[in-house]
Amino acid sequence: MSELRRAQKSLETVRRAKEMLGTFYRRHERRREGAPLAWCMAGISAELLSAFDLPWEWPENFGTLCAAKQVATRFCEQAEADGFSQDLCSYLRNNLGYVSRALELGATPPEAPGGGMGTPTMLLGSGGLCDPRTKWFQALSSTYLPIPVFHIDPMSPPHDVDPRDPRIAAHYTELLRETVRDQVAFLEEQTGRRLDLGRLRAALANAQEMIALLWEIQELRRAVPCPMGSEDFFTGAVVPLLFMLGEREATEYFRCLRDEVRDRVACSTGVIPGERYRFLWMGIPPWYNLGFFNAVGELGAVFPIETVYYVGAPVEIDLSDPLEALVERSWKRATWIHDWGAEVIPENCSPSGFSAPGTRLIRQWVKDYRLDGAVMHRTRSCRAVSWGQIHIKNQLAEEGVPSLVIESDMADPRSWSQSVIMGQIRGFLGAVEASRREAARA
Amino acid sequence: MALRGLARARALYEARDDRARELKAQGKRIVGYLCYFAPPEILEAAGLVPYRIRGDIRERVTDADQYVEPYGCPFVRNTFDQAVKGRYDFLDGVVMAHSCDSVQRMYGIWTHYRPAAFTHMVNVPHTVTPASERFFHRELGLFKERVEAFAGARIDDRALEASIDLYNRTRELVWQLYQLRKSDPPLLSGAEMLEVLIAGGGLPAAEFEELLREVTAEVRSRRDGPSAKRARLLFYGCINDDVTLIRLVEECSAHVVMDDTCIGARSLLGRVTNGDDPLAGFVRYYFTGFQCPRTYRGTDRSRFDYLIHAARQFQAQGVVLYILSFCDPHKLDLVDVRRYLQDAGLPSLVLEDDYTLTNLESMRTRIQAFVEMVA
Repeated sequence: MSELRRAQKSLETVRRAKEMLGTFYRRHERRREGAPLAWCMAGISAELLSAFDLPWEWPENFGTLCAAKQVATRFCEQAEADGFSQDLCSYLRNNLGYVSRALELGATPPEAPGGGMGTPTMLLGSGGLCDPRTKWFQALSSTYLPIPVFHIDPMSPPHDVDPRDPRIAAHYTELLRETVRDQVAFLEEQTGRRLDLGRLRAALANAQEMIALLWEIQELRRAVPCPMGSEDFFTGAVVPLLFMLGEREATEYFRCLRDEVRDRVACSTGVIPGERYRFLWMGIPPWYNLGFFNAVGELGAVFPIETVYYVGAPVEIDLSDPLEALVERSWKRATWIHDWGAEVIPENCSPSGFSAPGTRLIRQWVKDYRLDGAVMHRTRSCRAVSWGQIHIKNQLAEEGVPSLVIESDMADPRSWSQSVIMGQIRGFLGAVEASRREAARA
Repeated sequence: MALRGLARARALYEARDDRARELKAQGKRIVGYLCYFAPPEILEAAGLVPYRIRGDIRERVTDADQYVEPYGCPFVRNTFDQAVKGRYDFLDGVVMAHSCDSVQRMYGIWTHYRPAAFTHMVNVPHTVTPASERFFHRELGLFKERVEAFAGARIDDRALEASIDLYNRTRELVWQLYQLRKSDPPLLSGAEMLEVLIAGGGLPAAEFEELLREVTAEVRSRRDGPSAKRARLLFYGCINDDVTLIRLVEECSAHVVMDDTCIGARSLLGRVTNGDDPLAGFVRYYFTGFQCPRTYRGTDRSRFDYLIHAARQFQAQGVVLYILSFCDPHKLDLVDVRRYLQDAGLPSLVLEDDYTLTNLESMRTRIQAFVEMVA
């Protein structure tokens, strides 16, 4: 396991993330014995939960944490021993295995990072993004924790359906609207509290500000040299974006991050000295080995943009009716993403703050971010994110842009081979270098 | 002499798309579909010929690797491989549904590399709720409009009613054939049944009805039906569009007397309600009542009661669980299904395959041991 290492963060703000995002990193302090606690999937509106003053935790994030702390394998193996296939999402296996082990021990497993997860009283799932997420909480509830489950079901139009057609917009937003209403009814029943619309409005306003700041950061990352690479994005932006949307401290954190990135651009300070190659990162990162990005950086390559957890351009929403504003934000963002090509990643309509960019946008990024190529992480246990990479590789090849596919997993380190993958990276850099020399001769 | 009944079904099964190609040569327009979430009744009512797209389990995926990842539903990859190799060049249209991640994402790739005159994706919610049922109802309305635009004419209410009636008649006939498997030994083997159903997927519904009538008449009076075997099994799981595996089970001295698969009981029994709102009938049949594991139906074990009921109705002593690699919906149900079956006194055997059947001999050994156990 010595080949796996944690990321060396470049930005000061990212290094201070734990201290600045205390609501998230000290969440165990919010747990109250016997009080409602929700386990949620990414895609659930954190703003809505905060409007209920409902503490929440994220099994997917816990998967990344277990991976980073090198204990995910233990939990994945426990789930596999219980009959869950090794093909299945490693976040999911990590979570089921963790719960299985906790039930077996009658206590939080000692190896669980951060003191483990709190005992949930409800599960808030999402049918968005992939099939396993539709089934995960079903399996969790029926096999281990018989507690109430609620699923949101945001649907997205296929690539060849025009979301700007008013009938199509009405068709999809009606489902979103009804789902949000049903979710509110479920939360009211589970918490015994009424939705605080004022609080929801304030959270959405915070979220709008935060998304705008993150968008600004993403635009600043176009600069050469690159002021923020994937190691900082994954360690510093994902938690507040996915799990703290709407919280004031997350917004202030992004403001600080934006300021630091802006200063770096002004001073032409890059993530690495002697930046030589700029690549798109495609796919979920290997959470157990974010130091991989540093290792690639040592070879002169930086990743100024990623396809995952992508926040598109901010959209304007009317906050007078905050529930409707949630629907409006989801749909407007979905429409924006859809405009940029959704033939392989059509899951773009989600009440949360992120989705995935389409093929046309990726082609545009080559120019905007001055990319030399793409590195695609094919994650064996996450087909939903990996499927379509070859198509995008083909699309980029049409532009003369090379891509490399590396293969492992996002949370299960058993499939990672440092020597093979770094060998592939070195070979890829050599090929990029050779084509540069050829282009210079021509 | 023209073949009839079971012999004709076998010939159609083996010939795969010959009949569709003949119809194409006669000027008919053929629309391939990959899943029943897109009701073939609507295509038929528009004067189109629905054709159930098949993979070819006997052929390795090769050409598709240039366009899609190796990790993903091997059946879906195989169907696309067929398309890339030109096996589906007779299709005028391709209709898919958001039945799972693989199909949903394959739609974009398929239509990019193999565009057709008519392509459409029917979107399907993941959770059964009143809101999602309303969504699916609207979605079917949009599908109907697109079909009408392609067909060049509005689908007349009477035509749709007639199409629903026709499909209901075929399902009633399929049920009659299933009933003939209740006796011991059954009058019809599982492999023969599957041949008939797969053959039907490549025929206009009226021709399938005729085939079913021939087969039913033949089976009712046959003297050469399956001989006695040691066990009666139910076959559950992923799509199975080749009879090899069922034949293997039956070679191991077990009758496959009932199934719960896509090309089988899961979608070819029962009735679509034909009334004032035919789309509502489709919603009930193809979404609310369609027991595909991709749809979330709560956590209660009652969601598998239908399976235990079917096993008892057909006096199955055990269940073969056929699971394809990377099939997340089925794999996530597997732990629950096995436990529920066990609680109901039904032993089960998991057979996992990557849609190549390369491990057939090891499967044979395991099936033989399973039959020994349940007999």
